[in-house]
Formats: sequence, C-alpha cells, structure tokens
Amino acid sequence: MLRYIARRALQIIPTILGISIISFSLLYIFPGDPAEFIVEARYGVEPTQEMVEKIRIEMGLDKPFVVQYFNWLSKAVRGDFGISWTEDKTVMEVILERLPISAELFFATFAISIAFALILGIISAVHKDKAVDHICRIYSLLGISIPSFWLGLILIWIFSVQLHLLPAFGCCELKHLILPVLTWSFSFMAIKTRFVRASLLEELSQGYVITARAKGLPEKLIIFRYALRNALIPIITYFSLSISHLIVGSIMVEVVFSWPGLGSLLVESVFKRDFPVVQALVFLSGVLLITMNLVVDLLYAVIDPRIRYGD
Amino acid sequence: MRLTRRDFVKYTGFGAASLLGMSFLGCMTKETTKDTLIIGYAEDLKLRGDPAKIDRSIPKFCVLERLIEYDLSSDDFVPSLAKKWNVENGGKRIVFELKKGILFSDGIEVDANTVKFTYDILVVKKHSVAPGSVEVIDDHTVAFNFDEAWVLNFAKLQDVHGLGVMSPKSVKPEGDPNGTLVDLIGTGPFKVIEYVENQYTVLEPNRYWFERTGLEPKIKKLIVKVIPDEDTRVMALRSGEVDVLIDNYHGGYDYTPRNQLSELKKEGFKILAKNIPYTWIVVFNYKKEPFNDVEMRWAVNYAINRDEIAKIFDGWVRPAWDGMFPPEAPGMVEASIRYGYDPEKAKEIVSGKDVGEIKLIVDKSQSDQVLVAQLIQQQLKNVGLSVKLETLEKGVYKQKRNSGDYNLRIYYIGGSERTFYMRIFWRFLPPEKPWKVYMSNNVTEKAMAVVKEFDKTKRRQKFIEFYKALYEEAGVAPLYYEVVAVAEKPNVEGIKFEYSEPRFYSTYVKA
Repeated sequence: MLRYIARRALQIIPTILGISIISFSLLYIFPGDPAEFIVEARYGVEPTQEMVEKIRIEMGLDKPFVVQYFNWLSKAVRGDFGISWTEDKTVMEVILERLPISAELFFATFAISIAFALILGIISAVHKDKAVDHICRIYSLLGISIPSFWLGLILIWIFSVQLHLLPAFGCCELKHLILPVLTWSFSFMAIKTRFVRASLLEELSQGYVITARAKGLPEKLIIFRYALRNALIPIITYFSLSISHLIVGSIMVEVVFSWPGLGSLLVESVFKRDFPVVQALVFLSGVLLITMNLVVDLLYAVIDPRIRYGD
Repeated sequence: MRLTRRDFVKYTGFGAASLLGMSFLGCMTKETTKDTLIIGYAEDLKLRGDPAKIDRSIPKFCVLERLIEYDLSSDDFVPSLAKKWNVENGGKRIVFELKKGILFSDGIEVDANTVKFTYDILVVKKHSVAPGSVEVIDDHTVAFNFDEAWVLNFAKLQDVHGLGVMSPKSVKPEGDPNGTLVDLIGTGPFKVIEYVENQYTVLEPNRYWFERTGLEPKIKKLIVKVIPDEDTRVMALRSGEVDVLIDNYHGGYDYTPRNQLSELKKEGFKILAKNIPYTWIVVFNYKKEPFNDVEMRWAVNYAINRDEIAKIFDGWVRPAWDGMFPPEAPGMVEASIRYGYDPEKAKEIVSGKDVGEIKLIVDKSQSDQVLVAQLIQQQLKNVGLSVKLETLEKGVYKQKRNSGDYNLRIYYIGGSERTFYMRIFWRFLPPEKPWKVYMSNNVTEKAMAVVKEFDKTKRRQKFIEFYKALYEEAGVAPLYYEVVAVAEKPNVEGIKFEYSEPRFYSTYVKA
C-alpha cells in the first residue's frame, strides 16, 4: 500500500508540472503585454512607455520565459504566488479571505446535492421506465441544460421580486444561502442523479442480483444491501472528484448572487488582469483535482475489500 | 376534554412549526427603515490598500471633498476646501488659501499639511496626474508646482481619479504618503463606519460637515451594497432590498442598463437622469486605409442615423447631432455644428472608392455598446460598406486597439463634469497613445490651446475652434450623449445632482 501511495505521488508530479506550466503561461497566452497589465491594474491609468519599462524590470518580465517560470514555480510550491496586482495583498491572503465564503456555499450545495442525487437516482433506477423515472430523467436533462445564471435570475425574480421571501443577493447568513444553493444544486444534482441511476441499473442487471431475486430475497434487501453498496464505488469516486469545484466551480452562481467567493474572485481577477490571482486559482484548482483523484484511488481499498494495492 | 398523547404531539408539533416559520419569516423582514438609505452599487468601494486608487464615485462625493470643483455650466473652477487661489509663475504654480475651521470627520482640522499629505500620495507614486511638488507656505496656504503652465492643472486637482483631501489618519503609518489606506477619513457629508470588502460599506452623517453647512441630516445610515451583476442589481431594487441604484460611470462600465430605465419607470420607480459631457463615438483608425481619407470618415458620419441609436435606449440619451459634446459643454452651442444624416451622400462617396471589408471592434463587457455596434454595422451596410463586427473580450479589444488592428471602434470622450478637461487631454493631446481618438496638427494645436488658456472668455473661443477643427476633419463620429442615472424607489426623496453626481445629504426615505 505504501509503495502504491509513493508511486502515485510520484506520478502526479509531471501532471502538476503540466498544470503549473499552463497556469504560468496564462500571463503570456492572454493577448497584450503583461507589463502593461500590471501598470493598468496597479495604478489604474493607461500605461506610459516609461512606466511599462520600469515594471518590466521590477517584476523580472525582461528575463527569459523559462527563468520566469522556475522563479514562479519555486515560490508557488511554497504557497507564495506573489502580490496581487490590484489588492495590495499577497495572493494567498486574497484567496484565503474568500475561501471560507466559497466553502460555505460549496459544502451546503454538495451535501444537499448528494443527498437528493442518491434519493432521486435510486428511485429512478428502481422504477426504471415508469413515470417517476421519466420525471427524474427530464429533471436531469433540464438541470444539465439550464444555465445557472438564467436559473438564478428566475429564482431571484420569483422568491425576491414577486414573493419577497428571500434576498436577491449578498452573503453570509442562512437566508442568503438558500437561493444560490438551490441554483447550484439544480445542475450539480442533475448530473449526479443520472450517474447514480446508471451505476445502480448496471448493478441491478448483474448475475448476483438475478440470483438473489431467484432465491426470493426481498427487493429492498437486494437493492440497499447488495446492489447499492457495489454501485457506490464509482459514485463515491465521482462525488469526491467534484470537491475540486470548491475553488472555481460556482462562478456564475457567485456572480449572479453577489457571493464574494473564489468564483467571483476569478471573474474579477480576469477582468482586472490580476494574473497572479488567476494563475494561483487555476493552479490550486488543478492541484486539488489531482489530490482528490489520489485520495479517491486510495479510498477504493477502504470501500471495496476486493481491492488491495500492492498485493 | 381529555388531551391524548397523540393530540399533545400534534399540537406541540404544530406550535413548534409555526414558531419556526415565524422566526424564518422574521429574518426575511426588510431592513430598510426611514433612517437608512440602501444603495445598490456595482463595485466594491476599494477603501483599503493604495489611497491613490480611490476611483469610485461614492467615496469621491460622499466622503471626500477637494480644494476646488468644476462647474460645467459656467466653465469655472469653483472653491470647495480652498477659499481662493493665485496663479503664479506664468501658470506653473498655483497657491491656494484654505478655508479655516474645516474639520475632518475625525475632528482634525484641514490645513496646509494635510493637503500636502494628500497630494504627496500622488507625488511619491509618480502618478501620471501628480503635481511636480506641493509646498506648505503657512498653516492655511499651500502651493502646487507643475511642469506645464496649463489650466488643465486645475482639472488635475479636482479629479485625480477621485482623490480628495484626506486625514493623515486615513493611512498607516499615519501621515505617510506611501502608507496603506486603512480608514478613509474625509471632510464630506458622510463618514465610513464599517467596510466589508466586496460586500458592503456603512456610512453615517459627518456631524462636522452638517454643522458647517447648517443642514440637518435626514438619514442616520447610508449603506452601500455591492452587486456586480447588472440584472441582479435591478432585481434587488424591484424586490425592495435596495432603495437606490446609482451608476459608477468610470469608463462607461457598471451602470444601470439604459434599456431597463423605462421599464422601471413604468413600474413606479423614479428615474433621475443628468446630462453629462460624455459622448459615445466611433473612432476611426485614421492611420490606415480607408479612414485615412477624410471623405470616407464623412461617409460614415453621413451614414449613421443617430436617432435610431438613441432609440435603443428608449430616449434616455440624446442623439449626438450637434457636435462632439452636448450643448452644455463650453462653446458647443456657439460652434453651431450639425452632423447630417444623408445616406445617399454616403453611398455616393463610398461608390467611388475601392473599400474592402471594414473591421469594427467593440468591447463586449459594455453590453449597451454591443447593441450600438450591431446597429452601426447595419447602417453602414445600407450605404454599401461591408462591416465585420468583432465583439471582443476587454483584453483582446485593448490589444487590437493598441496594435491598430481595426478600422472602426466604439469608444467615448468626455465624462462626468470633473473629468471633462482631463479627457480632452487623454483623448486628443500628445503624446501619441492607443487610447487617443484623433490627432492631427490642426486639431491637436487647437486642443492644446484650450488646455493652456487660463482666461475663460478666450478659452471659450478656443473651444469653438477646437470643435470646428475636429468637425471639419471628421475626426470622430459622435453617436449619443450619455447621462448619469439614478433609479430610486418611489418613497425616496431628496436626492439631488451636484455637478454630475447624485448627493444624499438631504435624502430621506418615507416610511
């Protein structure tokens, strides 16, 4: 097991390097001169040639790309992404200020989505091709298709403008949480509902389920004790991977509801050309996804006794 | 009657559910009272960090005051914290005598040292509009030295991206021009009580300002809530969560969409709109074909039906038939300029030329301008010009603008009253920059004459010459004159415009 962990940890290094190259390159992929971006972001004025040259030297932008990249990476691995160009704070300070706000929205959505996705997925699979299954499938289709910003505005119109029940914007009280969570859950849950349904249906078509039915075991027992437990392995993988949405998964929801989390930070930073923040968010988001992938792989062994790493 | 266990559970359950429901509804109760005015605003007020970056309109006119203000109607720079001033050294030095007894909201008196501290923030940062140096002559006299002898120096002092005179306690370390803004303290009608970045700012009346002016505050609190999304902002007004929406009109962003104003008015909201010397224009890439040809620039001017463009905004803006600025701008009426709509003439000009596909670029974050660009594309097509419209992300737009990879682009000149002079500098005067809109020997010379002239009467004449020169060369194609808008609930009273800005010191909310 330990050998497996070590091997996987080594395997993720090239992937992280790849992500870091992409994150760092954003500064250059984006059209325009980075030195000009810094002048505009820092001083709020159109840049003069003298200001641009001064910044280019000050920020080391006159050095070769590779040198700049390794300078950036050596700091990034220590959690130092430099100073925000617009906020006069370190990038980590800016991110850590917003992280709890995003986490509040994400985990509320995550918990609700998983609970309902499981319930709806199971109902849908058990009642395959019946009315309730069709309803669940239509919902899944709508949830995947309807854009969050549109749904968010419609919910604001219904619950804030018409019914005066919930606030249209703001954070960080329970009442502010309801509409953003509802909006985000609608799509978040839809994909997962389909996934639960598909996984469970696959298990229900397995030979051991047919045998269990032939032996006359109660249907509830077959579904919950045998089929669902086996179907849970891919479901847990899929659900766990969605934790990577924590960082920038809720961009549209945060923008529509003025939720000052990491999603809206990313949008603001892109608009203001605050590249150190954009780079850090892209990099951290990638690293979180890879880390979750590793954790999930390791969790397999815990969930499924058949899997033994290194045996 | 005997109460069974089942009844007991039923009744207590119902009671608990009712209490829960009531408490839930209780927390939904709207917080607006007649003592509080809640403003919906697109941007965070940026009240921390670099003090030179306070460019939001609310701190600019609610918390801070400047030495002087600019009155467009008379084209005068008028006293504010300064009582009077002398122009010396041929115009390169301006000496201000300050009014006495003016207090910051922290009780410190405004004197020459506090003024020097404020403007040194720009000097030490070598800000593009910083004076050369600031000298304290005595407690209430302060001198500013500039490199050029321009009347524009006054404009720099009354609009330096919003910087107004602030208490040295506003920054940390205290009184250090290089310091970090920690608590914005000004002399204006309101003081900042609480600031939560990216969420809200709470302001209260500054008693020293009200004592000085003899007015009585009618609200106890002014809360500015940050709502970046324009649709959500409008819905927040409709739902009653905010009382007022005001524009942040720095650079044409973050305002209440003009095509929603009529709808709001129909629903009973009050709309206040103030004309400002701010004009949306088509910029020509006059450095390359086909718009290096003045005739082709005229063809575009003839082809554009400005009434149709103004219609996009339900009449809230005025079509720019009468020159580059609205009639309120100094000398604009006397210049007697009139752009005509003559598609036949435009066709005639275009038909004789070998013009390929024209590239029109627009910044897609300015949603109103995208609509305008689409209409212009159609209008130019009607006269035989094939236009490829490129709706670009802001950075890409700027890159194309900077590299000259366009034929036409949508942009603006002018601004609020306080930015009027600065924008003449930023759009028409050397050095050559991508954000300049038109420069030729004649137009630049005339524009330079305007910003140099201290005498108001002579300056007016120079304005007229500048407008005419620009018109004759068809340097730009003006589209429409912008407004500053305030959308407010019917029970809000007393918001009034001073210069281009809505003021709240007399505002109250009827219960």
